[in-house]
Amino acid sequence: MADLSLSSVPAASASFREALGAPFRSGALFHGKVRIALLLLVPILLLTVFAPLLPIQKPLETNLRAMMELPSIQHPFGTDKMGRDILSRTLAGVQISMLVGASVAAIALVSGMVLGTLAGFYGGKVDRVIMTIVDIFLAFPSLLLAIGLVSVMGTGLIPVILAISLADVPRFIRLQRSQVLSLRSRAFIDAARTVDASQFWLMSRHIVPNTLAPMLVAASIAAANAILIEASLSFLGLGIMPPSPSLGNIVRDGQMYLEQAWWISTLPGVVILLITIGLHFLSDGVRELLDPRARR
Amino acid sequence: MTEYAAKKFLQMLVTVLGIVTLVFFTLRLIPGDAASAMAGDTLSGEALERLREQLGLDAPLPLQYFGYLGDLLRGDLGETITTRIPIAELLFRALPITLSIALATIVLAVLISIPLGTLAAFMVHKGRRWLDNALTGAAMVIDLMPPFWTALVLLLVFSLGLGWFPASGQLNWNDPSSIMLRLALPVIVLSLSQVATLARITRTAVLDVLNEDYVRTARSLGWSELRVLFRHALKNAALPIATVVGLSFGNLLGGTVIVEFIFTIPGVGNLLITGINSRDYQLVQTLIVVYALVFVLINFTTDLVYRALDPRVQF
Repeated sequence: MADLSLSSVPAASASFREALGAPFRSGALFHGKVRIALLLLVPILLLTVFAPLLPIQKPLETNLRAMMELPSIQHPFGTDKMGRDILSRTLAGVQISMLVGASVAAIALVSGMVLGTLAGFYGGKVDRVIMTIVDIFLAFPSLLLAIGLVSVMGTGLIPVILAISLADVPRFIRLQRSQVLSLRSRAFIDAARTVDASQFWLMSRHIVPNTLAPMLVAASIAAANAILIEASLSFLGLGIMPPSPSLGNIVRDGQMYLEQAWWISTLPGVVILLITIGLHFLSDGVRELLDPRARR
Repeated sequence: MTEYAAKKFLQMLVTVLGIVTLVFFTLRLIPGDAASAMAGDTLSGEALERLREQLGLDAPLPLQYFGYLGDLLRGDLGETITTRIPIAELLFRALPITLSIALATIVLAVLISIPLGTLAAFMVHKGRRWLDNALTGAAMVIDLMPPFWTALVLLLVFSLGLGWFPASGQLNWNDPSSIMLRLALPVIVLSLSQVATLARITRTAVLDVLNEDYVRTARSLGWSELRVLFRHALKNAALPIATVVGLSFGNLLGGTVIVEFIFTIPGVGNLLITGINSRDYQLVQTLIVVYALVFVLINFTTDLVYRALDPRVQF
């Protein structure tokens, strides 16, 4: 019964669905900023996925006859002190980066939405407890918080993902909460209340869909940040440990040979930069597509 | 004003207590405990028990917690577990170095970014966008460069290539010029991303003000552009800029860990990494609390400065 009457309440989520569908209908996939993002990200992604098929050495394969070689056709990024191919290691590192970026964005997005919605919607005690903890977490700069958490949880892929996510979740909770607070008293919520909608229905059908766009934008920025923080942790020797390649620990490996072999440290760094620039353009483009007011 | 400051101060105390509590209990969450994590496979049975006793880990958790709080209140930061050096002594040597780097970075960044941002805003206002476009693009790229990579590239070019700055060596406080040369690259690396952020904020803030009525009035009075820009526009744009300077301090602290590591500077960041690598939980716990404390103090000051700068706020 409630379902029937609720469907006649102007659906809060319609505008979002329309907006999300718009890029595909109008071909706005070729929107300026999104296009730059795709031009940067797609080739890197393809190279990473098809790395095993490329005619290059495996990431962990050593070749003592080709140590510290300058970039060449055979080794486009050169080789390191053990004759390992830097391009191949970089691509394996990109895989880790992408995994970290995607996992952190997903974990932070989902938990931020759940906790932020609860805090904003219920207010009172729930809100106070959640926001007190959030404020304490926000008292740590995110890289330092991640370093602290990794020092407790240990090194490796899973601890790194968890540490960065934990450092990011409070920001998402805060964003979601502020959005929910401004939506809570809007007329369409009151309208839904008058037809006796349950609180779960209100949150899941009317509030959350309207908060999605900014949260998605925040998630793509979080992914770029996570990639940077993972690289920083691995560079400091607190993240992904060698011999598994990660963009951060390849740069760290090369630091000792900076003078003899500049390519080991510098080229993987360029790849990190290209990925984060790509993600940045993506989030900017998505924001402009979803929010007509941001378009200029 | 005093009432506001007192309220903020109380809030800050609550946050600090929260931080100490969080750090304390998080470190006790480690599977096993600090003693067995520290010892690895080297100790067993009785020796492990003795280590536990030494660390005070045999006491009930609430007792440990309140004991720790008491120690902190008395200013007793404890000793490092591995080398038995009072942590306060280590901090006394390391903290001034880290804070000098952070402070020098802020000063350099403000000196560069405010004129740059103001100029960009001014030129947009006059309808010439090229500087603005260049600045926005450069700021984005610089902001996204991993600091450890930027540091290595600059090290490669300016230390190893051109030989302008020493890449390592002792920090001798009696020789200011050598200190400046030694800290120059780390400060430059850190200020790059600060300049990117601050120039962007300055540009937006000044641009907003330039569209205000009182700026138009000032112009109509026949005042020179420069006077309008500095007497009216920049003065009113100072508020958001001051806030962002305070807020970006946190990122800066994270960055000091990285540059200290690369340039082997004996600051708090290097101490932290040493502590983590030698599994010295006492040291790590204290340093994390110290970092958070510095950050919270800066935020508190920013809040007060903001209030003091804005004459519209009534107390």
